[in-house]
Amino acid sequence: MADVDDGAAAPVSEPLDLVRLCLDEVVFVKLRGDRELKGRLHAYDSHCNLVLGDVEETVYVVEEDEDEDGDETVKTIHKKSEMLFVRGDSVVLISPQGQS
Amino acid sequence: MENGIATQGEGRDPSGFLSEIIGSSVTVKLNSGVVYKGELQSVDGYMNIALEKTEEHVNGVKKRSYGDAFVRGNNVMYISAD
Amino acid sequence: MLFFSFFKTLVDHEVTVELKNDIQIKGTLKSVDQYLNIKLDDIQVVEELKYPHLSSVKNVFIRGSVVRYVHLPGGAVDTALLEDATRREAAQQAQKTK
Repeated sequence: MADVDDGAAAPVSEPLDLVRLCLDEVVFVKLRGDRELKGRLHAYDSHCNLVLGDVEETVYVVEEDEDEDGDETVKTIHKKSEMLFVRGDSVVLISPQGQS
Repeated sequence: MENGIATQGEGRDPSGFLSEIIGSSVTVKLNSGVVYKGELQSVDGYMNIALEKTEEHVNGVKKRSYGDAFVRGNNVMYISAD
Repeated sequence: MLFFSFFKTLVDHEVTVELKNDIQIKGTLKSVDQYLNIKLDDIQVVEELKYPHLSSVKNVFIRGSVVRYVHLPGGAVDTALLEDATRREAAQQAQKTK
């Protein structure tokens, strides 16, 4: 079944190889809905389903100010989780060791 | 089609274009409007993208930079060679 | 298949499923399928005051696609084993796409 001409068939590494190299490292993950995670990557698959350990989640919430002059302030909410499964369809970006 | 502009791109298909621009500076725009500028490391059939030396721009303002970044393909609106 | 197998090892553990509409449901993981649909028993809605409509429900079947997170008990996860399984799955995937 496998036509073995490896190496030449994949001249450049594929994007998910970048994620593979992050295994057991701390990663920064950007999600849909203005959420960000920082945690140690323990598992992933081709859908970008993830398992992260020692996770810190940041949620950005836009709040209308009480006086209705249209001002908005962005509130950040921080949450922690010791072990977290993340469904891949929410994932936007994955980067090694948190942002700079 | 022997018109004057035929030489450009030589009628390659889209994935041909993508493999052609690997290694060069690109702009990636997501459906959310967020823009990433960086060096294109690789792309796959889902338009998952690996970028190097990436800058994140939101509403034209630089927000962050990443050494390496993986972008999940379903979020991508376009990839353009700078 | 990786996460299907992973969740099967967590059956009978207490987990909290966070949905994309922000509702969080805590319960005992009873079963999971290939789509990562999830069955929970003895459920309790976190922030019950905010979401009172589920207060009389004892168990739920959650469609996988509406899940954002599953919060897991850290002690129930062998991270080294999980990373090995991930590398194996990645190698298999690479073999397929050739």
